This record gives sequence, C-alpha cells and structure tokens, in this order.
Amino acid sequence: MPPTIPPLLSPSELSYLHTSLSLTPPIRPDARSPTSFRPLVAETDLLPAANGSARLCFADGTEAIVGVKGEVEKTTNTTTTGGRSGGKGGGKGGGIDVIDMDVDEVEEVGSGGEGRWIEVSVDMPGQRDDDAMVVFLGEMIHEGLVADQFLQNRLVINNRWHWRLYIDILLLSPPLTYPLPLLSLTTHLALLSTHLPAPVQGLEKDDDPLFNDDWDAAVPLYPPSTPTNPPNPTSNTNSNKKPTTARPPITLLVISIGSNIFFDPSHAELAVADSVVAVTIASSSSSSSNEAEDLSLLAVRTIDPPSRLSSSSSTTDADAGREEEEGVWKAKKGGVRRDVLGRMIGMCTERGGVGAEVLSGLEGFT
Amino acid sequence: MPFSITAPAAQPPIAYNDASDSDSADSEGDIDMAPPAKRHKLSTKSIVTPGEMVTDDPQWMRGHGTYTSPTTTAILSSVSGTLLKTNKLLSISPLRARYTPEIGDLVVGRIVEVQTKRWKVDLSAPLLAHLPLSAINLPGGILRKRTSTDELAIRSFFSEGDLLVAEVQSIYQDGAASLHTRSLKYGKLRNGVFLAVSGTGGGGGGVVRARRQVWTVHTGNGGGEVDVVLGVNGYIWICKHSGSEMVEGKGGAQVSITRIEEVVGESMYSNRNDDIGPATRKEIARLAGVVRALVEYGVRVDEEMVMRGYEASLEGEDMEDEGGESGEYLGGERGKKVVARALEAVNAT
Repeated sequence: MPPTIPPLLSPSELSYLHTSLSLTPPIRPDARSPTSFRPLVAETDLLPAANGSARLCFADGTEAIVGVKGEVEKTTNTTTTGGRSGGKGGGKGGGIDVIDMDVDEVEEVGSGGEGRWIEVSVDMPGQRDDDAMVVFLGEMIHEGLVADQFLQNRLVINNRWHWRLYIDILLLSPPLTYPLPLLSLTTHLALLSTHLPAPVQGLEKDDDPLFNDDWDAAVPLYPPSTPTNPPNPTSNTNSNKKPTTARPPITLLVISIGSNIFFDPSHAELAVADSVVAVTIASSSSSSSNEAEDLSLLAVRTIDPPSRLSSSSSTTDADAGREEEEGVWKAKKGGVRRDVLGRMIGMCTERGGVGAEVLSGLEGFT
Repeated sequence: MPFSITAPAAQPPIAYNDASDSDSADSEGDIDMAPPAKRHKLSTKSIVTPGEMVTDDPQWMRGHGTYTSPTTTAILSSVSGTLLKTNKLLSISPLRARYTPEIGDLVVGRIVEVQTKRWKVDLSAPLLAHLPLSAINLPGGILRKRTSTDELAIRSFFSEGDLLVAEVQSIYQDGAASLHTRSLKYGKLRNGVFLAVSGTGGGGGGVVRARRQVWTVHTGNGGGEVDVVLGVNGYIWICKHSGSEMVEGKGGAQVSITRIEEVVGESMYSNRNDDIGPATRKEIARLAGVVRALVEYGVRVDEEMVMRGYEASLEGEDMEDEGGESGEYLGGERGKKVVARALEAVNAT
C-alpha cells in the first residue's frame, strides 16, 4: 500500500499532538475517548436500480457509495460435488449445513459457491481503473467477503443456476486518509440492505429458476438476526444467546501512539501515529461453537505510518546534538511492540469490544 | 456514545435572500421588479449556480459574482450563491469562497515553499502569499539589515510546514498578499493546535473580521491561560499562553523597541514546545471543540461566540451523558447543545 501523502504539519504541532496522545489518559485533539468514533452519517437503499446500496459519510468529509447488483448466471459444471468448493476453507462450509438456514429449495445442492461469483470493483476519483491501489483495495474487500463460505453459498440457486453479485464501490471524495475502513463499512451496509428476489416455491433442483416478482417477498442476502437477539451492545456481552448469523466483514483503522491505542483516527492523529494497523474482522458464521462469541479475525495489515515521512524537527543549532528531548518532534523509528499489537487486535475482536460495538451499531442502523 | 451512526439530516434552510427590503420601493422610489415585467425575468430562486441567467433585463447593473456575454444583455452568475440586490446593482454573494486578503488583516499561515529570499505561505487564499526575508524579525536585533548569511540560513527561521501568525502588509496587483511579522505579536507558532475553518468571504459559519482576533482565555479546570488566534483567513491557532514568561524573564512587562533584540533571540524560531500540563491540553482541546461545533452549525466565529461557547461547554460538563463519553467531546448532539446555549447567551445580552 503506497503511503498516503502526509499532511503538512509543523514540527511543534506534531510534537504537541504526540505528547498529548501519549499521556495517560490520552487527550485527543477533539477530546474524544480513545475508542469512540466520530458520528457517521449513512443511508441505505438509495439506488433504486440496485439490489442493495448504501452511502456513508465519515466525519472527516470522505464519502462513499456502494451498489450491489445481482444477476442470475448459469453454473458451469467445471466443479463437481465436493471437488473444489471455491477457494480456501472449502471443507468447512461445504453446502448443506449452511444453506439450510432458510433458502428451502437447495437442500440437496451439493456444491458450494465460488468466490469468483462475487465481483468487487472500486472506483476512486483521479485514479485509473487498473491502478494498483484500486485493484488492491478491491481484492482486499473481496477476500474478506469470501473468507467464510457463507456469502458464496447464499448465491447458489440450484445445481445449474447461481447468482452473480456485482459490488460497485465508488469513493466520492479524494481519499484523505487510508480509505479501506470507509469502503468496507459502506460495503457492509450495502450488503446488509441487499435483497434478492425470492425463488418461486416448489422447483426441482435442476429447473430453470423462477422468481417471485413481488419485491416485498425478496429475501435478504444476509438474513437479519433473530429478534431474540436484539442488536444491543450491552446485552451481547453477558447474554448466552446463540451467535447471530454471518455478517460481512468490516475493517477498522487502529493506531498506536506510545502504549495508547486509538480508533477512528483523524488525519492529525494519523500524522503522529507510531503504527497504523487495519484490522479486518467478521462475526463468524460457524454456529457450532456457540460459546465462542468472539469475532473472528480475518486480516491484520500494517500501514506505513505517515509520521515516518515527516522530517524530524530541524531545530536550531543548540538542539542538534541531543537525542531525546522534551517538546521536540522526532519521528519514531522501529516497529510495533508485540503486546501493543496484541492489545489492538484484542480490542477489535473481544466480546463487547469495539468491533462488536461497531457491528451492532451498523446492524442497528439498517 | 462510542459509535453512533445517523441518517443524513436535511440541509439547514439556506438563508433565503429575503427581498422584503428591496422589493418595496427603494431609495429612488422605483418599484422593484418582483411583479414580473412582461418578458424580463429575474431568477426568483434563492440560490443561483454558475452560468445561470440572473436576469435579461438591461436596466440592471452587474456586480460581484456576475458576468455578461458581449452579445446579449443578460446577466449571468459566475459563482453559486445568493442573489443580492442593491438598488439597481445585482451581485451574488457566494456560499463558499476563499479568503480575499486585505491590508492589515491578521492571518495565520503555513509555509509551503522556501525560496532564496522569501517564503511562500498558504493562507487559503486563491494565491500563495509572500513573506520576504526582509519582513521578519531577524534574530539579534530588529533593525539589522539582512545579510547573505541569513539567506543561507533561511530554513532555520521558517521551513516547510511551519505555522506563523502575520499581518498582511500589501497586496500585489494579482491579489497575492505580502506579509510581515515585524512585531513581537507575530512570528512562529508553538505549543498548540491548529484548526482550519472557513474564513471571511463565504457565507455560513467562519471567522469574521473583528475588533480582537487574538485574546487570552482564563480557562477553567486549572487549565491556566490559553491564547486563541483567529486568523481572518479562517486558520485558527489555540495554544498555551506563554508571552508573559518571556517578558517577565527580561524583567519588564513592556518591551520597548530599543530592547527588542534581547527578546528576539534564537528561541523565537525554535521548534521546541514548552512544558504543557494535561489540564491545559484538555482545555485547548475543549476550545478547539467549541470552534468546530460553531463552524458545524454555521455560527460565526469571533471572540464573543467562542467565549460563550466555551462557558456553555463548561456548564454542560455535568449534562447527562448517555454513553459515558468524556465530557469534553463536542461532537454530534453535545455540540449542538453547546452552540444553542451560546447563541442564547449572546442574544440575551
């Protein structure tokens, strides 16, 4: 990932921010608590021609629109039952046990879905379609979606037909910071709002599919969680209910400064971050181990912190020789400490942690 | 609330260009053209967009934000904004505009380019401003002539990214500003945070030209004294007050111009921050939050509003808080409340 251009900040600003953020308790420039997010603005189902869509605005003014479109496609019989059920993790999600949730026609279907049935395209202003960054972002989102077999298997209609899903992600504003969190949250909302036409009941498994043309009967791509488990961050932690069904993954940007960890960093905070990590999490679909309600970790990516590119303060000659000095900006060298990285991931994935809160917040919205 | 997500709210109603004063008989007793004269039409919408025809009646004169094509008499808008009518003069006041420098403005700027004898400074104006090496206080005496040594060491005074407060000394023909920092009030900025809001020129919230652009706040909660610098260009600097120590150290409250060289030392261009306590940092963050909230809700930013907002946010400390969010964060609902209280306080006086 190419590092984003660091915002031009003066050395004394950087030093002030860095010191404020390494205090215990830290003081963020906007006085938020370390785990709180700036208010987001979102709407769903705004594109009438798409099966599902969402628009999300971050507080820093970046904005994205995602449209999800489904298309029926003939399954080519290159794969046979159990042969190669699409990508990694093929063993776990092979067909029956997942599909029997509520698509009733496909009990007998043996083959799982394939990852290439889902197409993700990212469009960023001022970037070519084949720009490495754009392609890479699209792949990262795609990879998260297909990581657990849930989504592919949802797309199976019967032995001969399946849905092909086009996910078009459009970044409306120039990327101020690392855009993956925005794109993944918007994709998440769009997928939650996606409905596919309901198949007409009583079809044989090899028939051509017929669909109910009543949109009110359309089935949600991601079935809503049962009403017995309301999206309530506080009750999630202590209630012993069954885990909700699978949810699309989300990516959170986490930074560390000193031993403090911050979520939803503003661009000024990113500029002084010691380390920047993008953590991709999803609620696991495997309902078998219903005790472990923890979110599953899909990916952790370190991002080159912009502070590396800032010049260490060119102070007056008097300061030149000394090493560590109070009140003078010095870009941090070296990597992330293991325990800090561990805590970052823990805060994202643990029960009742930030990740769970974000997921329930997103679900509560739709 | 640690994570909140809301549906988009409707845009606040744009200040409708109320024609009540201009619709009636104006100073010359002419009746304005609100009752449409047969063919000629005047855009009656509150907002005009670039290229939109405002009127095709030749009786109107075109003002700022408008243009005409040589072949017709129609007046077209060159900016998007609200229509202003002054007698027979039509002008468009833009919804958003960059800062237009004027001589004597106090501005906060950021160095973007270093040249041999001058700096280029970003003021969020259409053009970068110039700061000549000859217009700063050189260390070691105010009335010293600049030398080639100073030219070589130009980056030791200001380098790229540095923030400074300055005054607009003159305006070039093309509208670019020339700055100077030849006063102890001006110079490099340290010990604080920077905020960029919209400056003078655009509609809505933003910094307005006021009597006092720089003042010291006696903060609550043991925060000590905090300086606020409102640049007319919309750049704001909030920092710990440190001027007094510097002067006290020299043994006098007032520095006369003959002793200025003792004050303008090497330290003037240092990048090192003073020791700032957590309480002060908290109050600086709170002040920054107040300014952000004011801008978000389209309220002008000046000394009175910032102070009222600050007081309101201190009072609001014990406002009931659902999510256990620390009391200082002024995002979302809290910011709205603080701004509403501040407006009430201002209107009450």
